[in-house]
Amino acid sequence: MAMPSTDTRHCCFLVGSDCFAVASTAVAEVLRDGKIARVPHAPEAVIGLIHLRGRIVPVIDMRRRLGLTADAPSANRTHLVIRLHDDWYSLLVDEMLDVIEVAEHAIEHPSKPAADTTHDAVDGVYADAGRLVHFLDPQRIVHSLSRQREPFLQRQGASHGGI
Amino acid sequence: MNDNREFIEEFLVESGENLDQLDRDLIALEERPDDPQRLASIFRTVHTIKGNSGFFGFSKLGALTHSGEHLLGRLRDGKIRLNDRVTGTLYSMVDAVRSIIQAIEETGVEGEQDFRELSQTLTAVAAQDDDEPAPQSAAAAVPVLTPPTAMPSVPPPAEPAPEAPTPATSAPAAAAAATPAAPATPPTPVAIPAKPAAQTADSSIRVDVGLLASILDLVGELVLARNELRSIESTDPVLEGVIHRINTVTNSLQEAAVKTRMQPIEHVFNKFPRTVRDVAVACGREVQLVIDGADTELDRTLIESIRDPLTHLVRNAVDHGIEPPAVREAKGKPRAGRLLLRAFHESGQVTIEVQDDGAGIPVEAVRAKAVARGLIDAAAAALLPDDRVLQFIFEPGFSTATQVTSVSGRGVGMDVVKTNIEAIGGTVDLSSRPGLGTTVRVRVPLTLAIIPALVVRSASERFALPQAAVGELISLRADGGPRIEGLAGADVIRLRGRLVPVIFLDEFLGLRPTTATRENGTVVLVRIDDHEFGLVVDGTQTGGPTSDPATSRDRHAVTIPEAASLSTIVVKPIGSLLAQLGIYSGATVLGDGGVVLILDLRGILRAVELPPQVRRGESAAAASIAATDTYLVCRTGAGRRIAVPIDTVVRLEQFDGHDVQEVGGKRLVRRGNLFTPVVDADGLLGGSTNPDSAGAVNLVVLDDRCGGIGIAVRQILDVAVADSVLQPSLAALGVAGTLAVGGIATEVLDLTALLPSAGFHA
Repeated sequence: MAMPSTDTRHCCFLVGSDCFAVASTAVAEVLRDGKIARVPHAPEAVIGLIHLRGRIVPVIDMRRRLGLTADAPSANRTHLVIRLHDDWYSLLVDEMLDVIEVAEHAIEHPSKPAADTTHDAVDGVYADAGRLVHFLDPQRIVHSLSRQREPFLQRQGASHGGI
Repeated sequence: MNDNREFIEEFLVESGENLDQLDRDLIALEERPDDPQRLASIFRTVHTIKGNSGFFGFSKLGALTHSGEHLLGRLRDGKIRLNDRVTGTLYSMVDAVRSIIQAIEETGVEGEQDFRELSQTLTAVAAQDDDEPAPQSAAAAVPVLTPPTAMPSVPPPAEPAPEAPTPATSAPAAAAAATPAAPATPPTPVAIPAKPAAQTADSSIRVDVGLLASILDLVGELVLARNELRSIESTDPVLEGVIHRINTVTNSLQEAAVKTRMQPIEHVFNKFPRTVRDVAVACGREVQLVIDGADTELDRTLIESIRDPLTHLVRNAVDHGIEPPAVREAKGKPRAGRLLLRAFHESGQVTIEVQDDGAGIPVEAVRAKAVARGLIDAAAAALLPDDRVLQFIFEPGFSTATQVTSVSGRGVGMDVVKTNIEAIGGTVDLSSRPGLGTTVRVRVPLTLAIIPALVVRSASERFALPQAAVGELISLRADGGPRIEGLAGADVIRLRGRLVPVIFLDEFLGLRPTTATRENGTVVLVRIDDHEFGLVVDGTQTGGPTSDPATSRDRHAVTIPEAASLSTIVVKPIGSLLAQLGIYSGATVLGDGGVVLILDLRGILRAVELPPQVRRGESAAAASIAATDTYLVCRTGAGRRIAVPIDTVVRLEQFDGHDVQEVGGKRLVRRGNLFTPVVDADGLLGGSTNPDSAGAVNLVVLDDRCGGIGIAVRQILDVAVADSVLQPSLAALGVAGTLAVGGIATEVLDLTALLPSAGFHA
């Protein structure tokens, strides 16, 4: 297993004006924003695919995922690539912040997971130097997406081509 | 124990190979019980396992192989003779060793199984007196594999067998050098030449599959970097030279890396001599197995996927296909049935045939069973051609076997075979001739990792289509030629007399509103199993003017798609989140670095739920049925419900009643320069024509066989398959008969009788 010290390290990032974090053990890579190939009929928050050294990685727009209003896109948009079992995902965040070290007991966990899209992936919160850090559970970020499926376009019967 | 882990793993892998070799050797030995080389080889293999198990402290394995070795020693020394009791016991030993090895593999220990009894049997058999009346020859006593006589694939019997091939473990390098060119293979019932193992042992190493996969990924990266490098404009001759060299090396490297994933199908076929022998013994059959093309290579991941389906087909062929020897003799066939397993490359795919010369599938029994199971009604079944009837075999739970045997006949099987093969992008078809045998043909792609694909454009996005499913490309042009027509709410394209449903890719994917590509673009004809549909795209990757996003706004430009170039693409997984959408099978990175989704055409077919009548297929075999039992259902001005065979309908039009002109006593409707003669449906049926010609009229335009006329109706209701056969009715004028469509009695227009009376001649 990993060293105890790495277990408590978290990568902080900005989505909208809020500070979020994921465990550094889940993070595979941090990339600059680049070209994203879109995927029709994908869940709304999955805005496309990127190519990362031979691997095709779905991109989750964290603003959409967390249901935050889309202001002008940040100039510092960054791909935070996380690993979840065999799958990789890129979380498109507005800006990467620092890496903080927080002991497990210092994190306040919600008594039960919230149901709304802004909080359902939040696993705990921590007040750090005047800001509130929301810890996200990578599993839950992705999990609710697999339930959101756009119904397929139904072909309307009434279109007679030649008329 | 943990320190030994690596060695134990090697031992397990090696033992697995040794056991396979044992199976082959034992079968060969049954064939020629007095072949000393073969016996020596078996002895050495068992000895090796025994030695290794002693080294690792696997006592059960040691005891068992010790008894086996003792028996083999007696055989080798001529103290006892081979008979079916001996071979049966030896087979039991191989199975027992295999189960212990498996237990070690899974749990690290030998397990609870008790093989003492088997050891005792081995000892008892070894101790049997030579004078004991043993059956004269094993080959005659048990239904065994008889040697193929004139099979081209069988290596010629090496008469005085030279240096026998020896297992890798005990072979000195000298033995390898002695027989490199001509493997000494005594005539075996199978055409797989036993590889001189020593030879391969020296020239091959074991490599972790994960490592190979990552090498392939890196090579893919290199290819992309190379492409970027090539796009650099340079006049520097040194740089040019380097780029050229890197280019050449990258190509060769990619080719070599792809090859590392390939394995000969031998890895599957090798198990079959034993499978066939066991099933033949269990069912009382005599079977001669012939294997051809065992060196045909395909992706190792696919090899795993076809193992079970093929095993099932082989078991089926022996149990259900090949008749018992007595029955065969009565029919004038040789006692031993012939089972041919053949693999070969064909148009970028691997074809595997399982062919028996048995009784064939009783078509009538299948027909009756299909009716009994409610898959089709009796009247429709009677009209179905035999080759279509046979397809019911692939229905879940379908079996015609009257008796369930231990081997097969429970009705689980062929549907699973089909499902599994289709899951890897393959197809299964079956043909059978009564009394002569059955052939099952399985086609699978060479590899799933690298496939030839057609890259298309739709709404300035690119998508890749697996080439295997692409039939042809049809360019749509504004000025004549093929075009898309609406038929009862479904878009179709007319192709050599067939109506093929079309799907607009941009509409399906929600990329832009519909109708944009109706006039221009390309229709990619997709064939999956017996389904066929057209996928309308803007153009192909090399598709000339229209495929350029810059000009794609000009929808009236004449499209001349060039011959589409197929790219070889590396299929990459897109992750479970997107894979579960069911319409993409993966993604790839093109030469320019762009990520492109690969469409899952089977999934798209499922998602659009094409109407059953077109979905049921227009393949050559099915065309005759589909054509005769699918009808366009309309309502006439007088409210009568009528049906017209769909294969006579060219298109549907709608026009205003005022557009009809009377010329020389005939009514015509003009569209452009085209005049279509019009008759009223009620008039044809002898009723009064509705004179109120104002308002919209629907016209069912028939093809040239029916004079190209249009039949005016009030409403187009449906395209549907008839629920019953036509009941001829002589009473009504212009009516060929009635049948049930959608549960409602409907009159079918008698087109042949009608037309002359209406004054229109073709």
